[in-house]
Amino acid sequence: MKKTLALLLACTMTFGLFGCGGNNASTQSASSDEGTAAETEAPAEVETSEDSGDNILRTAASFAYPSLDVHKEYYGWYTSIYGISESLFKFDENSTVVPCLAKEAVADGILWTITLNDGVKFSDGDPLTAEMVVKNIQRVAEENGRFDIYKDFTYETPDDKTIVIDTGTDVYPTLKGDLASPEFGMIDLDDTTDFDNNPICTGPFVIKEFVPEGDVTVSKNENYWGGDVKLDGAVFYYMQEDDPKLLAMQSGEIDCYNSVSSAALEVYNAEPDKYVVESVPGTRLQFYILNENRLDDAVREAINLTVDKDAIAAYLEGTVSPAHAPYPDSTAYAKVTIPATDPAKAASVLEAAGYAKNGEGIYEKDGKPVKINIAYYAARSLDTLALLIQEQLKAVGIDSELTCEEDPDATYIATADFDLALYCMISDKCGDPLYFIDSTLADGAYYNVGGFKSDECQKMIEELRVETDSAKRAELANKIIQIAIDDNAFGYVGLFNHTTVLKPGVSGFAEKMSFDFYGIDANTTK
Amino acid sequence: MSREKQRLKKKMIFAAVCAAILVIIAVFSGVIAPNDPYATNATLIRKPPSAEFIFGTDNMGRCVFSRVLIGARTTIAATFFLVAISFVIGTLIGMLCGYYGGVVDDILMRFADLMLAFPQMVVAIAVAGMLGGGLFGALLALGVTAWTSFARLARSHTLSIKNEPYITVARLSGKKGAYIILHHILPNIVEPVLVNALTQIGTTMIGISGLSFLGLGVVAPQAEWGSMISEGRAYIQIAPWTVLFPAAATVITIIVFNYLGDVVMEYKNE
Amino acid sequence: MTGRITKRIAELLVLLIVLSILTFLLMYLAPGDPAQKRLSSQGVAVTKEMLDAERERMGLARPFFVRYGEWAWGVIRGDFGLSLKDDMPVAPKLREGLSNTIVLASASLILSLVFAIPLGILSAVKKNSIFDHTVRILSFIGNSLPNFLISVILMYFFCIWLDLFPIIASGSIQGLFLPALSLAIPMCARFTRQIRAEIQKELERDYVTGLRARGVKESDVLIKNVLYNCMGHIFTIIALQIGTLMGGSVVIETIFRWPGIGKLVMDSITARDYPVIMGFVLIMGTIYVAVNLLSDIICQVIDPRVENE
Repeated sequence: MKKTLALLLACTMTFGLFGCGGNNASTQSASSDEGTAAETEAPAEVETSEDSGDNILRTAASFAYPSLDVHKEYYGWYTSIYGISESLFKFDENSTVVPCLAKEAVADGILWTITLNDGVKFSDGDPLTAEMVVKNIQRVAEENGRFDIYKDFTYETPDDKTIVIDTGTDVYPTLKGDLASPEFGMIDLDDTTDFDNNPICTGPFVIKEFVPEGDVTVSKNENYWGGDVKLDGAVFYYMQEDDPKLLAMQSGEIDCYNSVSSAALEVYNAEPDKYVVESVPGTRLQFYILNENRLDDAVREAINLTVDKDAIAAYLEGTVSPAHAPYPDSTAYAKVTIPATDPAKAASVLEAAGYAKNGEGIYEKDGKPVKINIAYYAARSLDTLALLIQEQLKAVGIDSELTCEEDPDATYIATADFDLALYCMISDKCGDPLYFIDSTLADGAYYNVGGFKSDECQKMIEELRVETDSAKRAELANKIIQIAIDDNAFGYVGLFNHTTVLKPGVSGFAEKMSFDFYGIDANTTK
Repeated sequence: MSREKQRLKKKMIFAAVCAAILVIIAVFSGVIAPNDPYATNATLIRKPPSAEFIFGTDNMGRCVFSRVLIGARTTIAATFFLVAISFVIGTLIGMLCGYYGGVVDDILMRFADLMLAFPQMVVAIAVAGMLGGGLFGALLALGVTAWTSFARLARSHTLSIKNEPYITVARLSGKKGAYIILHHILPNIVEPVLVNALTQIGTTMIGISGLSFLGLGVVAPQAEWGSMISEGRAYIQIAPWTVLFPAAATVITIIVFNYLGDVVMEYKNE
Repeated sequence: MTGRITKRIAELLVLLIVLSILTFLLMYLAPGDPAQKRLSSQGVAVTKEMLDAERERMGLARPFFVRYGEWAWGVIRGDFGLSLKDDMPVAPKLREGLSNTIVLASASLILSLVFAIPLGILSAVKKNSIFDHTVRILSFIGNSLPNFLISVILMYFFCIWLDLFPIIASGSIQGLFLPALSLAIPMCARFTRQIRAEIQKELERDYVTGLRARGVKESDVLIKNVLYNCMGHIFTIIALQIGTLMGGSVVIETIFRWPGIGKLVMDSITARDYPVIMGFVLIMGTIYVAVNLLSDIICQVIDPRVENE
C-alpha cells in the first residue's frame, strides 16, 4: 500500500513540475523565435536511410561560415567546395593553373589580357560578360583585405569577352594564380539580392538551403554552362570533430569526406573493400623557425641534422608526408637539397664548434649546457611534433623545454621569444612559390622572426616579385629556399596530406587535389 | 555508541583506507611505474595490453599503465592543492563576513556572487593565453568559484556561534577580532567546513579532468587522466585500452573520494 | 517583496557592470588578436600591412576604455554590436545559441526529474530496503561520472554498437536524446540523492511521529505534510541547477555538435570575438541573479515560514 501510494505521489509531483518546466521552456523559446525557427526547420533535412537510392551526395564539412558571399573572408573557399562558385581559372591535379570560366590570360609587361570562355552563363541564365568580371574583381578588392592590391589596378573591357588589366607601375606575375583563387568566384552582381544566403554564380550547383554556420544543401544547376551535372544535389553536414565524421562514415550516413584524421584512417585502411582512401600531398606545411639571434650556427645545424622527419611522419601515420622542401614534391619549385638526418654528424658538428658532453650527456660550452626552448601550439599535430623533436634532440645531447601557447601569432611569433618555434601554414595558395617566401624569408616578413637575413636572398626575392616566366620563377625560388636551408634558418618537417575517404563508387570529390578549396563538381558521381 | 554509528565508523575506515591507498600510489607513482611514462616508441604504437605493458601502449608508443600512475599524481595533487587553497581562502573570508557582518559581509558576499556568475571557460582560456597555458590556468578557473562554497558555509556557521557566551566573554575581555576568529571561531567551525572539503574533492576532480579533456588543462606531454582520455578518444575503436584505463582510474578515484565524503558526512550527522 | 526585487535589480546592475569590465579586461590582456585570427582562419599567412588595415577597420587600434565605452553605450541602447569573427550582429547569434541551450537544458532537466523524483521519494520512504540500496548505489555512481565520459560512452554505445541513432541528427528529437541523456545522468543522480535526503530528514521530524501516532493516514502524512514541506527545498535544488545548465555544457555541445551557447562562447573565446563573449557574460549574470531571486520567491510562496534574511 505504502509503495503504490508513494509511486502515485511521485508521479503527481513529477507532472506538477513538468507543467512548470514545460511552460517555462515554451515562453522562453517563444521570445527567441528566430532561433526556434531554424531549429524546427532543421529536422526536415535529416535523412537517415543508409542506402537512400537518390542521387544526392552526403558529406561532412569541417568549417561552416555564416555567409555565402564568395568575395568576403574565406567564404569563397566553401562556395567553391559546395560547387556553387567558379573562378576564371582553376588548379588541376598538378597545382597548375588551367582554364575555367576564362580561356587564357596573357601577360605583356604590366598588361594582362584575359579572354573569357564562350557560353559561360550564371545559374539564372544571364551570360558572364567582361564587364561583370571587372565588377567582380573590384568587389573582391573592396571586400577582402587580402586582395587590397587589386584596388590599384585599372581595368578595361575592349569587347564582351576580353578584359585588360593594367597593374600600374609594377609587373604582377601571380595574377593568373590569384584569379584562380576561390575568392575570385564570379557572382551575378546585377541579379543577386542576397549575397549572404543566395549568391547567383556559375557553378554546377545552386544553393537549396543554407543554414548559417550549419548544414548546407545544394541542388543541381539546370542551366550549367559546362554541360550536364551528374549529381542531383549534395548535403554538407557541418562536423568539426573527427569522431562524428568517422562514425557517420561507418554508419553510412555520409558518402565521403576529406581531412581524415590518422585514427580514422587506420579504421578505413583495415577495411579496404568498404572504404576507398585517396591521399595526395597537400600544401599545409609544418615547419619550425630557428632563432639565429640565440642559437649559433653549429647548434642550428645540429638541430636540423637531428630532427627526423621520416620518424615523425611515421608517428603521424599517413596524415603527413615528410617535407623535402616547403612545397609538395611534384612542383617545379620544390627542387632543393636538405641534408639527410644524421645524428652522428650533428654530434661532430657540435664537437667541432667546441661543445662537449657533460655528465648528464648534454652538450655544453663554457659551462653552459645547451637547453633550447621549443615553442608550439596544440593544433595541426604540432604538439606531437614538439614532443618528438624534444626526444630526438635529447638523444643527441641537446636539452630542451616545451612552451605551449594558445595563440602563437600573438605570443612567440610576435615577441620572437623562442629558440625553436613550430608553426603550420599553407605554403602554396595559388600554385606559386612567392607567397610562402614572401611570408617567411623576405626582410620584415611576418614570419621572418628568427633573425634570418641575406642580401643575396632579398635581391632574388625582388626579382621573383616581377619575374613572369614560370620556369625562371621556380629556379629563383629554389635558389632562395636553398639559401635558407644552408643557413639552417628553418626546418621543414611535414606536409599534410589531402586525404579523402569515399564509399566505393563515389568519385570526383577533389580527392586528387592538393588544395583544400575544392569539393564537388559536375563530374562528381555517387 | 549506537550500532548504526559503529557500522558507519567501519565504512568510514574502509573508505579512508581506499583513499589512502590511492594517495600512496600517487605519491610513489614514480617508483611503481614499470616504464618511463614519457618515452615514445615508434615500434610500439597502440599495442594491446601485454605482460610488459599491462594497460597497453598509446598512440605514441608510451606505456599507458605508467601514464595512468603518473597521471594519478597530477590529478590528485592538483585536486588537493585546489581544494586546500579554496578551503583556506573560503573559510577565512566566510569567518570575516560572519564575524564582522555589515559592509564587509555585503561586499565579500556580492563578490562571491560575482565569481559564481563568471564563466569558467573565459577565465581558463584567458589565463592560458596570458600565462602560457598549463594546469595553473585550469586551477585558477575552477578556483574562482570553488572558494565560494567554503565561504558560505564558514559564514553561516560563524553566524550561528558568534553570539555564544564564550565569544562574548572573549570580546568583553578585550581580545582582538583576529584573535577571536582564530582561537574561538575557527576551532568550532573547522569540522563542518573540512567535511565540505572532502565532498568537494570528487567535484573538483571532475572539473579538472573536464578542462583537460577540452585541452585547457595540462600541457603535453604531461600525463593527466582527462587529457589521456581526450587523446585516446579518437582511437577508441582500434585501441580502446587507451581510453578505458584512464577513464576507469578517473571514475574509481572520484567514487572513492565521494564515498569518503559521504560516509564522513553521515557519521557526523548520525 | 517589491523592495526586495528592487534591491536585487540594483544589485544585478552593479554585478553586470563589474562583470563586463572584468571580462573585457581579461580578453584585452589575453594575447591574441581577432583581426589576425580572422585573416588567417584557413592557415594562410598575413602581412603586417593587411593586419594593420584590418585592425583599423575593426576598431581594435583604439585604447581600452574607448572600446569598452563604445560597447557599453551600445548595450545601453540595446545594441550588442557586431561579431568580430564575421561582422554578423551578435544578438541573433546569442539568441539562437541560448534557445538551443534552453531546449537541451529543459529536455535533460525533465528527463532527470522524471526519474529522480519518484526514485528519491520511494528510496526515502523505503529506507534501507534493497530498492533503496540499489538506488543509492546507482545514484552514487552516476554522480561520480564526468559527463564527457558519459557522452563518449553513450555515443559509441547507441550509435555504433546498437545503431539506434543517426550520428547526424542536429535539431531533431533523435539528435536531442543523447546529449540530453548525457547531461541528465549525473544530474538525475544528484537530484535523487538530494531529494531522498530532504524527504528522509523531514520524515524523521517529531511532528511526523506525532501525526502517525495520532493515526493520521500515511498518505496524508506524506502528501500534506512531508512533501509539502520539502517542496521549497526541492525547488531550490532544481533552481540552482538551472543556472549551470543555462551556461551550456561546452563538452556535450561539442561532442554532439549541438549549436548551443556554451559552444558559441567557446568558439568566440578562441576567435577573441569579445562582443559575443561580453553578451554571453551579461546573459549569464542576469540568469544567475534571476534564478536566485526566483528560488527565493518560490520558497517563500510555498513556505511562508521562510523569513527574509
